[in-house]
Amino acid sequence: MKKILLVLIIGFFTFSCEKDDICDANTPTTPRLIIKFYNDADRAKVRSVIDLKITSLVDGVEKAIVFEKTGTEFLNDTIVSLPLKINENLTKYKFIFNSKATNEGLISRDDLTFNYSRKDEFVSRACGFKTLFEMNASNENPIILNNIEGSTNGIWIRGFQINQPKIYNEKETHVKIFF
Amino acid sequence: MKKKHMSKYFFNIVLVLFSLQMISQNKKSKDTVTILPKTDRYGLRVGVDLFKLSKSIYDNNYKGLELVGDFRVTKKYYLAAEIGNENKTTNDDQLKFTTQGTYLKVGFDYNAHQNWLNLENMIYVGLRFGISSFNQEINTYKVYNPNPFFNEPNTVTVNENFNGLSAQWGEVVAGIKTKLFDNVFVGFSLRGSNLFFNKKPAGFDNLYIPGFNRTYNGNFGVGFNYTVSYFLPVFKKKILPKEKLKK
Repeated sequence: MKKILLVLIIGFFTFSCEKDDICDANTPTTPRLIIKFYNDADRAKVRSVIDLKITSLVDGVEKAIVFEKTGTEFLNDTIVSLPLKINENLTKYKFIFNSKATNEGLISRDDLTFNYSRKDEFVSRACGFKTLFEMNASNENPIILNNIEGSTNGIWIRGFQINQPKIYNEKETHVKIFF
Repeated sequence: MKKKHMSKYFFNIVLVLFSLQMISQNKKSKDTVTILPKTDRYGLRVGVDLFKLSKSIYDNNYKGLELVGDFRVTKKYYLAAEIGNENKTTNDDQLKFTTQGTYLKVGFDYNAHQNWLNLENMIYVGLRFGISSFNQEINTYKVYNPNPFFNEPNTVTVNENFNGLSAQWGEVVAGIKTKLFDNVFVGFSLRGSNLFFNKKPAGFDNLYIPGFNRTYNGNFGVGFNYTVSYFLPVFKKKILPKEKLKK
């Protein structure tokens, strides 16, 4: 009998030490916007950007995104993940192409504004909630180039397309940009 | 850390109760020269969980009461039940929520302890069926954002209510009860439970269930109580030492 009790007591201790208070990094939480870059001449083909710097206004100061892969502010890739604001319905980014160029004339800047609706969804005790975004169908222009409604032609951007309006995970490409 | 200390505390209580029992047994065993007829008392024992009672006093986020009762039906078996009410606010890092509800547990205890003479101690195992009816309210939550580029606040106050929730579970109990004086008993029990019905709210989860306690990723739960109870005798049964009579 005492042995059974002892086993139960030990069992009780191990249960109380169980750690589920830390949000596992593999748990899908608030997703980022996934953008893929394509060749404007051949729209089925992905195209790598050159030293693309992406900045946004954070607390009144223009701040550049540091890319995870390289640890730098310069992107030379065909894909990028951008955080969206979880307490506003729009996020504006400046896309600076060839930003390393010493000749100012070779640097191209385009602004993209992403409009969306938000909803918060419960994940778990450790992770709390996540915010999911959807580029609204009610909004005629969910993506606005250089603050001009309906414009598709920028300084270096030649067009964009919404591939998946529901930004629920980071597995899909949500937006395609052609240049 | 807090939890660890608490467990230590209860472990000590278990040890103290064990030793008390042994001391009392040793005393009696010395003077059993003449064979006296043994009397078993049958009746209802009612009590209260001291842990929930005391926690209600020192913890502002908790109000709870559990009444316990058992009725001896045979030499070894007792019908047992617990009824309780809890109002608990859980303040986790990502979530702050309040759970409020009532529960009932019914089942039996089997006394595995062989008492000397007229002692009425118990070392028992038992089973319970538990049912709980409760409400939950999310007070605030945090949005988990692995990429906080904009430094925006992520705490959201909602005060959203989820009513009419319920859960059912089975519980294995192991515990001890020992007579302190007269008809007053103290007891301690440990419980392991397995949830088999859980009506979760849409868009949230039952992270705490009154009576079942905190839920984990699976269906398992744990609990304990520390009771003081009063025994109301109903009838007595005399047991004659059979072996001696035969000779």
